[in-house]
Amino acid sequence: MNTHQQTGDTWLSPVQSLAHKLNLDSPWVKHKLDFVMPMGVTIIRELLLALALLFGVSLVVFTILYAAPGDSFSLLLSGERSASATEEVAQSLGFSNSWFGQYSTWLINILHGDLGTSIRTGQSVFENVVSATINTLNLTLAAMLVTLIIAYPIAIYTSVRSATPLNGPLTIFAYVISALPLFWLAYIGIFVSTNVFDYFPLGIGLGVEDDMEIMQFLLPVLILGIGSGTVSEVVRFLKLEISRVLEEEYIRTAKAKGASIWRHGFKEGLLLPTSQIISSKIPFFLGGAIIVEQVFNWPGMGRMAWQAAQDRDFPVIMGIALAAAILVRLGSLVHRMIYIIVNPRASHE
Amino acid sequence: MYTEFSQLPIEKRQDIEKHWWKKIHRMDLLYLCYGITIVSLVVISYFLGAFNLLPFDPEEMDLDNMMVGIGAEGHILGTDFMGRDLLSRMILGIQAYFLPGLLAIVIALSFGSFLGVLSGFYGGRIDTGVTYFNNLVDSFPRLVLILLVVAAFKPDIYYIMIIVGLTNAPVVAALIKNKIQFLKQKNFIESSIAMGLPTHLIIFKHILWYNCRSILIIQATLGMGEAILMETSLSYLGFGVQEPTPSWGNMVQAGSNYLMQGNFWPSTAPALAIMFTILGFYLLGDALNHILEGRKS
Repeated sequence: MNTHQQTGDTWLSPVQSLAHKLNLDSPWVKHKLDFVMPMGVTIIRELLLALALLFGVSLVVFTILYAAPGDSFSLLLSGERSASATEEVAQSLGFSNSWFGQYSTWLINILHGDLGTSIRTGQSVFENVVSATINTLNLTLAAMLVTLIIAYPIAIYTSVRSATPLNGPLTIFAYVISALPLFWLAYIGIFVSTNVFDYFPLGIGLGVEDDMEIMQFLLPVLILGIGSGTVSEVVRFLKLEISRVLEEEYIRTAKAKGASIWRHGFKEGLLLPTSQIISSKIPFFLGGAIIVEQVFNWPGMGRMAWQAAQDRDFPVIMGIALAAAILVRLGSLVHRMIYIIVNPRASHE
Repeated sequence: MYTEFSQLPIEKRQDIEKHWWKKIHRMDLLYLCYGITIVSLVVISYFLGAFNLLPFDPEEMDLDNMMVGIGAEGHILGTDFMGRDLLSRMILGIQAYFLPGLLAIVIALSFGSFLGVLSGFYGGRIDTGVTYFNNLVDSFPRLVLILLVVAAFKPDIYYIMIIVGLTNAPVVAALIKNKIQFLKQKNFIESSIAMGLPTHLIIFKHILWYNCRSILIIQATLGMGEAILMETSLSYLGFGVQEPTPSWGNMVQAGSNYLMQGNFWPSTAPALAIMFTILGFYLLGDALNHILEGRKS
């Protein structure tokens, strides 16, 4: 217990006592450590929470699969269907009959990166899901950028100048954009690009992912960014946050001093809302990606999930659900990290 | 200078209460009118479809008049690629989402308010559990969860709408929890407990009915919009209503095959119907939110 030194009345944490040993306990270091320690604790807590949620996700996915009608042994035993034969095969395959036994086997396999093999293609699910996830990430991240590029000017314009004649039309424009059906918008996009720009945007998904041309990438990204149905919510959220921050007293002080409002309002007025809205909209973009990938034949998670749902290909759809949940959790983890780092006060509460 | 409503003289208060609609923002009034028009159109069309009062038989093919435009040969909105009347099919397409959408709303509201009351009223460990559940539901993209259920069971619209309802519940729960915490700050709940009111009366009458009904109405309109969006997306993907039964999603899907030839209308008409309807439900929800809960700006 020599790390837990007792000096006077104050208890020193391991890091602080290390700093003491290294003769680093100047007021500056102490001040920094007071900030860093609770931040570290909060970050570890967030990580544990994310792990607990992923555990819950695996439980939900497994339960849905477990409750599904039909079992995989009826395929293996097409000839003899007696109960004892089923039992024998199950035991020889190391298959547990109990719910918990099956779940723990499945979970341990997943933790080893083994998601099983696809029923349709017989390929390893893990490798397919990873490559599909990377393709989908390209699509969704670029589409989010498009959404933000559309939403930011509207949000900043309507919140900085609160009453302009353009206010109403811009808001309605954002609403109309987010109510457009995504699949129809995609077809219109293909029509316009083939007839006006003389370019046929379908052609990927043929195994040539490396030389993906810029136009092939651009159209699906634009369509998903415009039509994912999130523009109006992003605009509303950003507008609310920016106008709230602009009314804060420190912004008024900055104005009075003649300092840059954007520099002082950046962290709270732009960085935090952006990371929050991105992390909370990841599920919507992944959902929209299913439709866009379907239309544009994009070799991503969405198209794979659609195919798997058609074939009742359980291992694939489970892998995709897990991958999507991991992406969502990662997004929210990154947002929490940014929030804790920008606003260290939050970890003291 | 701003004075609290309750501090105003009685004549002025009566005056404001008599002319309460004057306080509504002009844009909100516009949204409200548009939304109510759309909702009543949808309800009327639902009953027209239910009692089979359609201008044409929606499954009758008219091979002489394929893909004619608006108003030709008595077809008010024209015909699709098999010469079937678009207007009749669109009216009948409302059957595909109306009742399932109501089911999704009922599930979202009842389950959401149950969770919200649990976490707001009791707090503590229960609140932690409910927050965990909400985060868990939010971890899945809704369409992925629906595809998982479709693969495991069967593509049935009522299964899908149960998922839509369950995934909407956390939003309702969070709003109700916030409202209850606000009421707790004002010592509202404490005083009603001190008065000796039974718990079920506090929860159902004083919290849910008197204080949360506007939240529930708003969430119901927004939930209908999301149900329509999900139904059309799934019909488009082929997991919803199957041809020849019309649904707006599979009408867009069927019409889009002819879009490259320049025949926009058969897929654009249902797409516009989807857009205007979803817009109507969203704007109605927004306007109600501003009117009932107070405009934020």
